[in-house]
Amino acid sequence: MDSLKLPKDVCLGALRVTLTGSTEAWIENYKGILEYTEHMIILQGKTCQACFEGSRLSIDYYTNEDMKISGCINCVRYL
Amino acid sequence: MIGILRYLRGYLRIKVWGFSPERFMNLCSNKEILLWDIARDGDAYYMNISLRGFYRLRSIVKKTGTRVAILQRYGLPFFIPTLVARKVFLAGFVLAVAFWLWSSHYIWDIELAGNYQITQDAFDDFLEQENITVGLKKSELDIEELEKEIRRAFPQVTWTCAMLSGTRLRIEIKENDVPMPEEQAQQGCTDLVAEFEGTVVSMIVRSGVPQVAIGDTVEPGTILVAGMVPIYNDDKTVKGYLPVTSDADIMVEHIRTEEFTLPFEYVKKEYTGRTEVRHFLRGWEKEWRLPQERPFLVYDSVIRENRPLLFEKLSIPVYWGDYTYREYLDVEYRYSPEEAQELLNEKLNTFLTSLEEKGVQILEKDVRIDTSGEEWLMYGEFLVQEPAGRSVSAEIPDTGENEVNE
Repeated sequence: MDSLKLPKDVCLGALRVTLTGSTEAWIENYKGILEYTEHMIILQGKTCQACFEGSRLSIDYYTNEDMKISGCINCVRYL
Repeated sequence: MIGILRYLRGYLRIKVWGFSPERFMNLCSNKEILLWDIARDGDAYYMNISLRGFYRLRSIVKKTGTRVAILQRYGLPFFIPTLVARKVFLAGFVLAVAFWLWSSHYIWDIELAGNYQITQDAFDDFLEQENITVGLKKSELDIEELEKEIRRAFPQVTWTCAMLSGTRLRIEIKENDVPMPEEQAQQGCTDLVAEFEGTVVSMIVRSGVPQVAIGDTVEPGTILVAGMVPIYNDDKTVKGYLPVTSDADIMVEHIRTEEFTLPFEYVKKEYTGRTEVRHFLRGWEKEWRLPQERPFLVYDSVIRENRPLLFEKLSIPVYWGDYTYREYLDVEYRYSPEEAQELLNEKLNTFLTSLEEKGVQILEKDVRIDTSGEEWLMYGEFLVQEPAGRSVSAEIPDTGENEVNE
C-alpha cells in the first residue's frame, strides 16, 4: 500500500479525525452515530468506534460524507 | 453563500424525540438529507433540516420510532405567501420600484459648470428655448446637438461637454479668457480716429496709411491712420485706392481728469439679534409653507435649501429648507475725514489699476480731496500716455476711376 501510495483512510476504512484546538473536530469515513449526548458522542467507524468526550458538544452539520463537532472536547478515545 | 442558498430553498428547525434519534440522524445522512446545528436538550434533539428533506422524513420516522415537531420555519418559500397576503404592502413596493424605474428615464437636474461671463439665468433661458428643461425624457435629448447649439449661441464658449449622470444633466463649458476684439466685428475698409485730444508720442502702423506723425497734436475725430491706400500712376496721380482694415499701436499723451465723490452720511444695517425661522417645502415651481404674518418691520432673510439625492445619482426636484428672518435697523453714520480719505483712496486705486490694465501709462498725477455741498470730492488730474485709435468705416475718395480691388 505504501509502494502504491494509496491513501490509508480510504483503503483501510479508518476514521479520519481533524481537530482544531479543543473546540472543533471534523470527522470523515464513519458509518453513523451510536450515541449523542451533551458530554459524549460515540461514532461507529468501519473497523472501530471513536468516542469524543467533553462538554456542550453539538453537531454543526451531519452528512453522509463528513460531520463537524464543536464544543469543548476533552478527550478522543478509540473503543 | 451557503446561508443564502438555504434561505432561498427554505428550511425548518425541528425537534426530534422518541425511541432512537441517533438512528434517525444516520438514516437522514444515508438518504442525503442534510442536517445542521444539531443540539441535544434533555431527551430531545433539535436540528435544522432543508424543506425538501423534511418531505422525505415519513419513512425514517416510522422506521426509527421517533416523533418530529416543527419549531420554526425559515426562508423564501415561507416568506412569499406572507407577502402575498399583504396585498397593499406588495402593491406599494411594486409601485415604488415602478416609479423609480420610470423616473430614471427623465432628467431631474441640470447643472452648469465653468461659466464666468455667461450668467446662470442667460443659460437657463437658452436651455428653455431649446426645450431642455427639468422633466425632459432622456431619449429626447440629443447631447451632440446640444453641445453644437451651445457653441453656436455663445461665441465665447470655446469648449463644451454635456453628459448624463443618472438623472442629472451636467454641462461643462470653457469660456474664452481673451476678450473678443471689437475690431473683428467691423471688417472691411476702416480708418483709425483719435478719441481724445493730445500729442502723439509713438506710432507703429501695421496696415493703412499714417495721417499723423510723432509729436503732432490731435483732436477728437482726427484720422490717425487711413484705410484707403492710394495706388499711383507713373505720373504720380492717384489711380485708385486699395481698401484695408487699419491696424496700428498709437500712444497719445494727454491730461485726463477724474472725479470721485462720497456722501457725508451713509446708512448701515444694524442687526437687533431677533430672528425667526420658517420652514418650507418646494416641488418643481410650487412652494408650501405655513401662513405667517410679517415677522418684523424691517428685516432681511437668509434661505437655506436642502435637496435629496437618492443613491448619489437620482436627484428629485423637491427641496426643503428654511427662511431665517433677521430684524435690523437702518442707522445713519457720518464718515470721519480719515474714513472718507481711505474710501476715496480705494476708489482711486481701483481706477488706476483699471487704467493700467488697459495699457495706459501714468506719468504724473495730481489729486486733491475737498468737500462740496453734502459730499466729499476727490479731484484728480493725470498726465497719461494712452492707446488711441477707434475704428470707423472709411469713406472712399472719388478718383473718377474704378476702385482697385485685391
